[in-house]
Amino acid sequence: MLRDIVGAMFQKPITEVYPFERVDVPPALRGKLLWTAEGCTGCMLCVKDCPADAIHLITLDKAAKRFVMEYHVDRCIYCGQCVQSCRFDCLTLQQDTWELAAESQSEFAVWYGAPEDVATVLGAAPAPDRGEA
Amino acid sequence: MNTQTFVFPIGPQHPALKEPCHLEITVSGEIISDATIRLGYAHRGIEKATEGRNWTQNLYLLERVCGICSHSHAMTYALGVEALAGVTAPPRAQAIRTLVAEMERIHSHLLWLGVSAHEAGFDTLFMYSWRDREIIMHLLETVTGNRVNYSVNLLGGVKVDITDAMIRALHEGVDQLEARTTHYLEVVTSDAAFLQRTRGIGTMSSEQAFSLGVIGPVARASGLARDVRVDAPYAFYDEFPVQMVTEQTGDLEARFVVRLKELFESYRVIRELIDHLPAGELQARMPRRIKAGETISRIEAPRGELFYFIRSGGGETPERIKVRTPTLCNISSVLVTMMNQHLADIPMILVGVDPCFSCNDRAVAVNDGRWTWQQLRQYGIDYYRRKGDSC
Amino acid sequence: MLTLLAMLVFPGGLFLIANSVAYEWVDRKVVARLQNRIGPRWFQPFADLLKLLTKEEVIPEGAHVAVFIILPVIALASALTAALTLPVAGLSPVYSYPGDLIVTVYLLSLLTLCLSIAGTNTNSQYGVIGAMRILTQLFAYEAPFLLALLGPAFLTGSWQINEVVAAHGGQWLLFAQPIGFVIAVLSLMGKVELSPFDAPEAETEVVAGALTEYSGRGLALFLLGKKVVLLVGLLLIAALYMGGIANPLDYIVKTLLLLLIITVIQALLARLRIDQTVGVWWHYGVLGIFIQWLWLLVQGT
Repeated sequence: MLRDIVGAMFQKPITEVYPFERVDVPPALRGKLLWTAEGCTGCMLCVKDCPADAIHLITLDKAAKRFVMEYHVDRCIYCGQCVQSCRFDCLTLQQDTWELAAESQSEFAVWYGAPEDVATVLGAAPAPDRGEA
Repeated sequence: MNTQTFVFPIGPQHPALKEPCHLEITVSGEIISDATIRLGYAHRGIEKATEGRNWTQNLYLLERVCGICSHSHAMTYALGVEALAGVTAPPRAQAIRTLVAEMERIHSHLLWLGVSAHEAGFDTLFMYSWRDREIIMHLLETVTGNRVNYSVNLLGGVKVDITDAMIRALHEGVDQLEARTTHYLEVVTSDAAFLQRTRGIGTMSSEQAFSLGVIGPVARASGLARDVRVDAPYAFYDEFPVQMVTEQTGDLEARFVVRLKELFESYRVIRELIDHLPAGELQARMPRRIKAGETISRIEAPRGELFYFIRSGGGETPERIKVRTPTLCNISSVLVTMMNQHLADIPMILVGVDPCFSCNDRAVAVNDGRWTWQQLRQYGIDYYRRKGDSC
Repeated sequence: MLTLLAMLVFPGGLFLIANSVAYEWVDRKVVARLQNRIGPRWFQPFADLLKLLTKEEVIPEGAHVAVFIILPVIALASALTAALTLPVAGLSPVYSYPGDLIVTVYLLSLLTLCLSIAGTNTNSQYGVIGAMRILTQLFAYEAPFLLALLGPAFLTGSWQINEVVAAHGGQWLLFAQPIGFVIAVLSLMGKVELSPFDAPEAETEVVAGALTEYSGRGLALFLLGKKVVLLVGLLLIAALYMGGIANPLDYIVKTLLLLLIITVIQALLARLRIDQTVGVWWHYGVLGIFIQWLWLLVQGT
């Protein structure tokens, strides 16, 4: 043990002085969720399988495949089940966006979809069909 | 020293405990004469919560029963549900499950080494072993995407694949860890001050261990040859068997030695696994509704045998999931091994069984008031006789 | 007027407090580096002290209020007073009189006694057990400590620190009396409850021992008192065993050297149980000091 201690005196401490030093993240890291509307059929499997109730899919027009997704960054547990459940590869967990701290809770409700659809949802008064499990 | 007896409380909040429990220790001077324990402070109602979620969601809920053995819980649940549905996960998935399980064992044992060194006042060993634990944590993040709560399991398989780059990183990491573990084994068995805190303390003979029903490394340190990976191999353990590591002395030092030697076994199994990973797919198709039935599933978590009882009513949500964690079996042995030891040995003896109180808090309703041991035993025998041989 | 300044500012009072805070930082930083981590920044112990002074002091039910409040003050005052007899950085001590070696050692022990009374004054079992352990440990190391410090005094024939230091000139007595030196350093570690002799305040067994129920100002004063005792002990051993302290550079070098030895021992060993501590001291400590004194007596005659 004495050898360890004396040796440690001459080694650089292994503490990573975050945020000045950052270790590279591995490719498999599960970061923030990203949803693309192309390919989505509104099957709702991702919503049903989410353990944390973090995804809501709002159907504006099922036949024309217009959907809007509301994603709660603070509820998500980054498990990746939604990615697995989706058969059309609409969802990915980004590997580079993982520093998700924010100063207000409003930043945690993320809306995905075509801009006009999102605007419709956010501005519209009548409540659209909210896809909840 | 005066011999006045008084009751010394440990917990619910105490620096020796990482999770809350309440120990009431009767001491006279510094010698313990009696001890009782009260659990339940970390009860979160998980078993009830599983009844309102579908089978897939429960995978992630049950993973969070414990942070240190999260993969063990998920794997046991996945194996149980697959058994109910009659689906076998493909070989590559089973191999990856086993790989992550062994990596989890390494991380858990290194964590335990640090924590028990800290309980003995040996902060330097604590810092060093946790520094080396960072190697395995980084490997876990490389392979699974997260350091804790890996979420590699799916019902029917796994969701991550092992690439060649990962295999190289694993080999390098395991080599480094093996060198460090050899050094720690030497420190634990030869450092004079540390041995004074571990040798001959908390001794439990094999007969005592057998009658108290202890499992896991604690039982193996007292000479009982119990290891689910050897007795009832699951996942890929029949292809890559594990040697059982036992010691005969049954004191704290033996528990250190058993866990450190188990690490060598883990390194060996990991090396063999990654060199001989079977090719194939990662997931088998699972129905959304699981057939009605009951099953039990058990694996060797880092702390001992983890036991799940799963009952399905044929729907999308389970009817009942019962989780019995290894700490629940081992915690009563603490009360027995503590007798006539010094007050200062309490944290060491407690940490020797590797307690994980957040794992073991469940609620059990006993219907007829107070049962004797014979009644409980007879109830179990009658229950299984009525069921026949379906599990 | 000058005496008052010397007592309160330099080399007493404020200087001692500032110095002990600085040495606490050195101790924590070196232990951290030995454990492969970074350690606190230079103002951390001072910030801790300041924070404690600004927090509310909670007086537990059942404790004697006046005793609870006055004990930390007495402890700190006795630790600071103990330094008045020591020659610091080449200056003559503020108060020097025959027999002041014994008085200094007893003033240092007064802090230990205050700690144990504070432990028994509270209603908590942790305090009572901590107090018991403090007293048990006091019985273990106090006699060897006193005898080890009396070793150099014996050869001089005087029990006044100033005269002992002057009589030996710049000679390093630790080579002439090595066992005495080792025992002195180890008993200082026992007095200040540093690992491996930190059973009385074992964090994982008795929370904080005698200081469990203290918070805010009382805790700040007690902790400061312990740090000052460490510093005074270092000064005492440097003055007696390392040839006195001739100038500021000498002062820093010698006390830092001792502190480094203490820090390495602290990081190296696990905590001993209280009965093991007593066993080690009464088997090896007493034996060692006995042999040292036998040698001194033989040399003296």
